[in-house]
Amino acid sequence: MIKTVSAAAAEARTIEIEARLERLAEVRAFVRATCTELGAADDCVVDLVQAVDEAMTNITTHGYGGASGPIEVTMGPTVGGVRVQIRDRAPAFDPTSVGEPDLDSTRLRPGGMGIHLIRAATDSMTHEHRPGGGNILTLVRTLGRREEED
Amino acid sequence: MALDITIDQAGGDTAVVALTGELDASNFTTLIEAGRTLHADGTRRIVLDLAGLSFLASSGLVALHSLIRILRGEAPPDPEEGWGAIHSLEFDVSGGGVQNEVALVAPQAAVERVLERTGLKRLFRVHEDRSAALADA
Repeated sequence: MIKTVSAAAAEARTIEIEARLERLAEVRAFVRATCTELGAADDCVVDLVQAVDEAMTNITTHGYGGASGPIEVTMGPTVGGVRVQIRDRAPAFDPTSVGEPDLDSTRLRPGGMGIHLIRAATDSMTHEHRPGGGNILTLVRTLGRREEED
Repeated sequence: MALDITIDQAGGDTAVVALTGELDASNFTTLIEAGRTLHADGTRRIVLDLAGLSFLASSGLVALHSLIRILRGEAPPDPEEGWGAIHSLEFDVSGGGVQNEVALVAPQAAVERVLERTGLKRLFRVHEDRSAALADA
C-alpha cells in the first residue's frame, strides 16, 4: 500500500510492505518513483535504490529471520537531499555498529557487503530503537552527484 | 522486475549467459542453479552478458562468486545452509584475483558501481561486447 502523507508535491511518501524477498522489486520501484518526484539525479536514484534494497534484505533475512513482519519505508525531502526512514518490528539491530570490510585484503568476502554498500551509497546512516519494539534506520543522501564520485 | 536468464552455447566448453532484469536476494539462487546445470553439462567458462541487467544487489555478488567456484569444480555455498554460510565465503585474491572462468560483458553503470565499491571488479575481465569476451578465452 502506498499512501501520500500530504497531497503537496515533494512531501513524504510511505510504502508499507510485508517482509518478503519477493516484494523487494516493488520497494525498489517505489524508491525510484519517489526519488524522481523529489528531483533526484540519476546517481542519487541508483544509490538509494541500492541502499534501501540492501537494508530491506537485511531486515527480511536477518531481522525477521524469514518470519513475516511489517516494514514501512518513508521517503521525503531534507535540505538538499532525500531522507529515507525504514521502520520494522524485528529484534533490535544496529547496522551502524558493523565494521567496514577490508577491501584491500587478499581475501574478499562477497557475502558481507550489504551494509558496506548502504554506507557507500548514502551520506549518513543512523539507527534508533523504535518505541514499542523494532528499529528505525534513517538514510540521507544528497539529491545530486556527490563530489567523491568520479 | 524479474530476472531472465538466457543461455547460448558458444562452442567448446564456453556458454554465454545473458541476464535481463534485476538480480537480487529473491532470485540470486536461480543463477547459481543455472551455473550448476551448465557445469554438469560440461561448461567450464561463462561469458556473462550484463547489458540487460539494471540492478545488482550484494546477494548477486554471491551468485557471481559462486559461478566461479562451480566452474572450478568447487562446492558453491548452499543457500539452504543460511546466510551465515554465505557471509563466511572468501575469495583468495592474493595472486591479483582476476580469473578466467567468468568474464563480464557490458555492465550498466549502476552494476559496475557495485562491483567497484565492493572490490569485486578486480576478479573479472570486463568486455564491451560478447565477441570481445569470446575472443579473449
